[in-house]
Amino acid sequence: MNAPLAVEALDLERTYASGHTTVAALAGVTLAIQRGEFVAVMGPSGSGKSTLLNVVAGLERPTGGTVRVDGEDLARLDEEALARHRSRRVGMVFQAFNLLPRLHVVENVALPLAFAGVSVSERLRRARAILERLGMTARAEHRTNELSGGELQRAAVARALIGDPAILLADEPTGNLDSANGAALIALFEELHAQSQTVLLVTHDAQIAAHAERIIRMRDGRVVDV
Amino acid sequence: MSLGNYGRARLRSALTTAGVAIGTALVVLLIALATGAEDNVRRSIFSIGDLRLVTVQPFQPGANGLSAVPRTITDDTVAKLKVVAHVDGVYRQFDAPLGMVVEGGDDATIRPQGIEPGAPVDRGDLLAGRHLEAGDRAVAVIPGNIARLVAPNAGAAIGRTVTMRVGGAVKLGSTRIGGSGTPRDYGVKIVGVFDEQASQTSFRIPLEDALLAGAENRGLTADAIRQTTGYSGLAVEADDSTNVADIVRAVQELGFSSFSLKQVVEQIDQGFGVFKGILAGIGGVALLVAAIGIANTMVMSVLERTREIGIMKAVGASPRDIRTLFLAEAAYVGVFGGVLGLALGLAGGQIIDRVIRQLNPRTNPAAIFVVGPDLALGALALALGVALLAGFLPARRAMRMSALSALRYE
Repeated sequence: MNAPLAVEALDLERTYASGHTTVAALAGVTLAIQRGEFVAVMGPSGSGKSTLLNVVAGLERPTGGTVRVDGEDLARLDEEALARHRSRRVGMVFQAFNLLPRLHVVENVALPLAFAGVSVSERLRRARAILERLGMTARAEHRTNELSGGELQRAAVARALIGDPAILLADEPTGNLDSANGAALIALFEELHAQSQTVLLVTHDAQIAAHAERIIRMRDGRVVDV
Repeated sequence: MSLGNYGRARLRSALTTAGVAIGTALVVLLIALATGAEDNVRRSIFSIGDLRLVTVQPFQPGANGLSAVPRTITDDTVAKLKVVAHVDGVYRQFDAPLGMVVEGGDDATIRPQGIEPGAPVDRGDLLAGRHLEAGDRAVAVIPGNIARLVAPNAGAAIGRTVTMRVGGAVKLGSTRIGGSGTPRDYGVKIVGVFDEQASQTSFRIPLEDALLAGAENRGLTADAIRQTTGYSGLAVEADDSTNVADIVRAVQELGFSSFSLKQVVEQIDQGFGVFKGILAGIGGVALLVAAIGIANTMVMSVLERTREIGIMKAVGASPRDIRTLFLAEAAYVGVFGGVLGLALGLAGGQIIDRVIRQLNPRTNPAAIFVVGPDLALGALALALGVALLAGFLPARRAMRMSALSALRYE
């Protein structure tokens, strides 16, 4: 039996009620992402690319169609199971970093494991290991306000990777970085990809997207070019 | 992790905790006050007598004051009571007419009280000599104050014979206060002296002697007295104070009025239950105010940390994790506030007790505030419970928050 696809979407829909009208952020998306692929989703704002990512991340539920991540049909998961999906099956990197300012970097990186029942000493050990892998050991005991944008995003990537996810998701990860730091982050993604990490990246920047193995273009909630 | 949050908004947490502490302290103080009062009352009741005792009175049930309808206590009554379940012993008592003892220059009024050996009234209060025994005749166990009229001290009175005059006019000074029939003198040997705290006038004499004196006073025979006048009362002893109610019921079914300290204590307990309830209610209002404070703090905390909740949810916190986090925060407030309040209550009670002792240096009153382990644990549990209850709605709000909209919250 073949290993399941990293992501498999079929006629995926996501509509929002807005007053009397409904807006379709996803209007029937069908796509497949193999394990180990580095895929970029491109499109103008409002094209539904972020919604797609959020649905795969388990942050949002589709209103129609099916989506499987690492073989698991997300529609069948209740809230508790969806939380486990977020902590173990996927790792998410945001444009706004979304680190907790009151925690040290190493505690931020270890945070997902706190909700997966891992002991404090074990999760700090794993967080330090992954920070070392990303060259961030020197920053482990710092507060987030002492870090540069590039370092913050590197810490966020470390946090996304700590659960050893089937797929790394990134929503405009370079959006708040200068070009040098943006380039360094993409280089990190390429390096992770080379270590066979599946990566799904959302961006509107063609230069960033160009680093991916494959580009999926979206417009008005539909895939226009795979 | 929530401990970190507790430390973060320090002033707000401290104020909320202070609210809980004051509420808890008030509950502890008020209930301790009621407990102390109850203890004092109970202690004075226990000093009066034995809770296992039921006294059968020669009246119909429901007797009180002037409306009492007499009813004769006979040996038949005694026989019936002896077979009632949980009855350990039935002791007959017959009070002979009032009299006096003329000795040592002073006349002392006495109440000759005919009792059986081992009767509850004749136990464990001796200053000298012995209690009444089976087969005793023409002897008496007398109070210490009268013993000192006939001898230098209680011990020296033992073995002395005194003249007990039964019947006739009994005077206090020149005023006739009682007495009946023709006075008749009986020589009785003092075999025991009891502490006059129990009674300053009672002469404990053998039942048969008292019946004879009563009969001769009225020109009757002892048997006639037994059958027509009947005994003055019966002391019925239960095997355990918890069975007193059963015996009281049996006595009433036989048609006699009864009295027991146990029933008095039960009524007092009931009264104090209500008293405690009211005081706890007053303290409870303070805790309720504290609870509103907790709820307010928690709502603020949830609002402030909306984005944080979003982040935690995004990286895998389940709704239950989030709820636990906020409930734990409420629990910290409850536990810290409860412990602090308990300490405050204990200290406050001790200080007030000490002040009262200093104001009344001679009487050395018993503690007014009494905090038992059940009150201490109960107060802690109450503080924790109130805090969790107050934290429940805000925690649920945090739990139900959508991760995405929380992430977008600024």
